[in-house]
Amino acid sequence: MKKRSSKAVQLILITSVLASCSKPVSKAENDGKQQVFMRADSTAQYTNVTQQYDQQRSGSGMGSAFLWYMAFRHLGGGMGYASSGLKPQSVVGTNTAKANAYQQATRGGFGSTAKSTNARASS
Amino acid sequence: MKIKYLTKDPNWVDRVEKLGYGYHTEDNTPYWIDHYYYSISEQVVDQIYQATQELWQMCLEAVDHVITHKKYHLFHIPNFIHHHIEKSWENDVPSIYGRFDFAYDSKNKQLKMLEFNADTPTSLFESGVVQWYWKEHFFGNEKDQFNSVHDQLIHSWKELKPYLKGNKLHFSCIKESLEDLTNVEYLRDTAIQAGISTQLIYVDDIGWNGQSFVDLEDENITSIFKLYPWEWLVNEEFGVHITNDITEAQWIEPSWKMILSNKAILGILWELYPNHPLLLKSYFDTPKEMASYVKKPLLSREGANVSFVYNGRTIYETKGEYGEEGYIYQELAQLHRESSGYSIIGSWIIGQEPCGINFRESDYPVTTDKSRFIPHIIE
Repeated sequence: MKKRSSKAVQLILITSVLASCSKPVSKAENDGKQQVFMRADSTAQYTNVTQQYDQQRSGSGMGSAFLWYMAFRHLGGGMGYASSGLKPQSVVGTNTAKANAYQQATRGGFGSTAKSTNARASS
Repeated sequence: MKIKYLTKDPNWVDRVEKLGYGYHTEDNTPYWIDHYYYSISEQVVDQIYQATQELWQMCLEAVDHVITHKKYHLFHIPNFIHHHIEKSWENDVPSIYGRFDFAYDSKNKQLKMLEFNADTPTSLFESGVVQWYWKEHFFGNEKDQFNSVHDQLIHSWKELKPYLKGNKLHFSCIKESLEDLTNVEYLRDTAIQAGISTQLIYVDDIGWNGQSFVDLEDENITSIFKLYPWEWLVNEEFGVHITNDITEAQWIEPSWKMILSNKAILGILWELYPNHPLLLKSYFDTPKEMASYVKKPLLSREGANVSFVYNGRTIYETKGEYGEEGYIYQELAQLHRESSGYSIIGSWIIGQEPCGINFRESDYPVTTDKSRFIPHIIE
């Protein structure tokens, strides 16, 4: 039984959103193109996310792949959204309650090896 | 077992991208091979199935041996995590998958275990999904594949569901890799189909609130699948919190997989099962009597820092950043070779059951992240 193939393979989560993510583009290719700025709170300053946009967009337009990458998440308690794809100053602005909620836990304590080496996390 | 060619499909890129497969090509060189495949017999499938089943049992015995005799020093596993490993073993913390890599000596029709990717194996998506749809495209129902990866994942998650801690299973990987994200999202997809509540969180977004690991909503993480190596986790800033965590989050793969994903296990297996036909001679620290062997760092990934020695002379070596942790010396294996390159067989064990294979092909006798994925057909 297990030595045969599956009778059907249906996916409910993965779609072309993943396939449409492309490789990084060089700076030269990006020159003169549309610039994209985002923020996650109306009291926060905008951050230039053009590079992420160009890396993650699918064809023309913003595309769901980019939104996937930015991954805005609801903080609950009426505090709106946050995204770790943005710089912190563009997430909370002057919203103290939101800053407290976002910063309550410390983050970034995992993942440093992947950033500091050329090795892949998978094998 | 041999390569067979097909008429090229000019639309193959569109076809695989519609499945969500975005890393089919790297630096303009296809990683996914669409126009040729491995034709294998039922007998070879039976052989791989039985070898995978037998090696899995041997590996479990080897883990028990290492834990019982506290041989952690051979694996360079930090002291603080030993108790966590032992608890995860005693409590039978859920494990979902692993992939054995085999060399196949066509002349002697013998499989040999090269290594076991027990902690963070990938190519799961191309094995279970892309390869299956490729078969449907070219052969429909007329031919078969050793590939019930998708069914077995859903089945295994259903079996694990009652044993998961909390009511949400988090899935985690690094942000920067589309391949890792695709594999994790595929696993999450199958978990959802098994009725499990899930949430994605990137590894560097995992928070620590002084007592427990938390997600971006500051909710406690009770169980988490991570596509991130244990040896990296335990050596990073939050590593020590794994043992401080009052929630005692369930990590999948569990920490006892640190033993199996380390190449020191090859030396342990050879000590426990000397001259076993599925094993290659493997020694710690020295090649002993072997004149031809492969020198592998204990924690090397994707074929990095591997040296090939033939009759005492280094004939090929790969670059990388590993080796400080020590080496294992493994007998040189006979790899299957075709005009297109050298191949190894990856054999999936999911929820204790061998359930599918993939072929990886290289221009040189070492499998790296550049090695091509070759689909297969039983005929």
